[in-house]
Amino acid sequence: MTLRVLVVEDDREIRTLMQSSLSVEGFEVQTAVTLSEAMALLRHSPPDVIVLDLGLPDGDGLQLVKEVRRQQSVPIIVVSARHQEAQKIELLDAGADDYLTKPFSVGELLARIRVALRHRGTALAAAVTVHELDDLRIDLAAHTVQRAGALVHLTPTEFKLLARLVRSAGRVVTHRQLLADVWGPEFTEHTHYLRLYMGQLRAKIERDPAEPRHLLTETGVGYRLASD
Amino acid sequence: MDRSKTPVISFRRRWGIVIGLLSLATIAGLLLEPYVSLTSQAMIYVLVVVLAAYKLEWIESVVCAVGAVTALNFFFVPPRWTFEVESQEHFIALTTMLVVALVISRLASGLRRETEVARLNEQRARQLQALASELSDASTPQQVQTLGRSALDAAFAGPNTLVLADSVEGLARAEGLAPAVLDGMRCCMKDGAVLGPGTGRWPGLDAWYLPLGGREQVSGAACVRPALAADEMGREHAQALCALLAQALWRLKLTTSMLAAQGEAQRQQLQSTFLAAISHDLRTPLAAIVGAASALQTQHDKLDPTEQARLLDSIASEASYLNAITENTLQLVRLASPGLVLRRDWESMEEIVGAVLARMRPHDPDHRIRASVPEGLPLVRADPVLLAQLVGNLLDNALKHGEGTIDLTVSAQPQQIQLCVADHGPGIAPAEQEDIFKPYARGDRSGRRGAGLGLAVCRAIAQAHGGRLTLQSRAGEGSVFCLVLPLDAAQPTPELP
Repeated sequence: MTLRVLVVEDDREIRTLMQSSLSVEGFEVQTAVTLSEAMALLRHSPPDVIVLDLGLPDGDGLQLVKEVRRQQSVPIIVVSARHQEAQKIELLDAGADDYLTKPFSVGELLARIRVALRHRGTALAAAVTVHELDDLRIDLAAHTVQRAGALVHLTPTEFKLLARLVRSAGRVVTHRQLLADVWGPEFTEHTHYLRLYMGQLRAKIERDPAEPRHLLTETGVGYRLASD
Repeated sequence: MDRSKTPVISFRRRWGIVIGLLSLATIAGLLLEPYVSLTSQAMIYVLVVVLAAYKLEWIESVVCAVGAVTALNFFFVPPRWTFEVESQEHFIALTTMLVVALVISRLASGLRRETEVARLNEQRARQLQALASELSDASTPQQVQTLGRSALDAAFAGPNTLVLADSVEGLARAEGLAPAVLDGMRCCMKDGAVLGPGTGRWPGLDAWYLPLGGREQVSGAACVRPALAADEMGREHAQALCALLAQALWRLKLTTSMLAAQGEAQRQQLQSTFLAAISHDLRTPLAAIVGAASALQTQHDKLDPTEQARLLDSIASEASYLNAITENTLQLVRLASPGLVLRRDWESMEEIVGAVLARMRPHDPDHRIRASVPEGLPLVRADPVLLAQLVGNLLDNALKHGEGTIDLTVSAQPQQIQLCVADHGPGIAPAEQEDIFKPYARGDRSGRRGAGLGLAVCRAIAQAHGGRLTLQSRAGEGSVFCLVLPLDAAQPTPELP
């Protein structure tokens, strides 16, 4: 079955570029120029993944994310310019799955779509409990973390934080989401908790904490556990 | 303040003083009787009459004088214990005393009045001086208004009103003005002159209406009470106060328009800098892209695969250069805008360096950048996106200009954190070391591209965070750029589980 991608983008050049490069990869591509057009397409034929540009002519992407999230779990990837940080975070917190900053390469777009589709599967199937990349192995069920075969000792909070990232491996998780899920909804402004605990985690599981391989920082947005 | 004339002595006390003085004189006269003559006794009475005349109003001093004459007559002038006067000489003495009392009373009250006026004038002069110095510190019209109101209220019993308005129409917007006051203010602003008692204009009013400033440059009006036609000094004082207020408002207006003009000039300069930049920095890579793309378009079949790949590479790298320039230009405009608000959060230098390195590595295939970030660094309150851009620009520059390894080091010092990027490039001559931080200035070394706005943005970001960006370089020995950021005294400490 071919996978269907809905590209919502008002710039013709970028829309055409995305359409052609996604088609080459075997996706069936639908395009929409405006939010209302996208909404209509969504009702008509639900896609497997949505690529949503910020700053469309007829409204706020947030509307669409909320609308989609009411009924469907289809992955949404937000495309934004660098200075649209606040908007981007708002969308991620509202349920968008990932983001890309313009200008981006086709390779990056495909990688994001791959990760998003992988998670779409896991949302329905049993949750991933083992994450393996290079010499790092995290087993959520057994509650163990190994680096190069050796057990790494984590505090309960460190493990909770890492487990949260494992469940979204490859995808960005915003500061707010991490704080709410690990510490509780009343701690969503305590970003410094994250800085300190992520620092400890990096010291324990990264070979070079100054240039991490696994725990990646999405500056100003959140964190991402590398999945490839 | 100078509303209080002389300390007012109550009616009952005044008459008490008169009776007291007379009784004292009589008792003293009686006690001294064995030792002194009638003349000395009369002198005692003269003394109390003089005292009363000096201290009390004329009516009390006359009564005191009459009382003194009567008492002298009754108690001491033969025939004693009667009101009769025996000799003509005594009669003359009594009359003289009465006249002396009246004359002194009159002189004293005149003197008192003059003293009062002098004191009032001195107080007013002092008030003007104080107001002038307070106004020189005022930075908004509201402050001027507040100072003006309290000065008027201190000088005049009121109720006083002070309204700031640029025009007669502007008055209508002032709230809570009585229609009569509004009318008065409107008129005085239109005429640019004082209205009210003693001015010859609308003398029937119960208040003075004073414009702030002249007819050409009016900035409000005041209504002052009580207003007496005879109180010329009071009116002059009110005018002097209003003149000071008008002057302060005028000064503020000039300052504002001067700042606006300066801002506009700055904006225009920035704009022309950017235009100059576009003509060079954007055009060159654009030309390269267009050239490569059109070559691929028209000569596609004649080019061998290596050549095609080279052209494609050139398109991609020129485009990413364009992107960097655009990003820096936009950031500089944002940083230069007056309403800039940093999105500060607690940030870890390790994370920022890590994120920048992840972005830079594709451009650094030989791993020339070596990062050294110690564990357990304190957190900084910073805008992470800006900080990442700063570090990225420094590394980008070092990759372009330097050769060999590039050392990125972070170190914590008391109250500050330092990040240094050291390259082993050609170095920068002392003469150019300040210029490279200016937008679009560049050390044109070996024909390579400069950072464009890169370092200007870096410095602006450092300054926006209350930090600084410095350069140490010697020709031939490479350059070291150091960012120093102040540390927040209160480091957050979460309860560790």
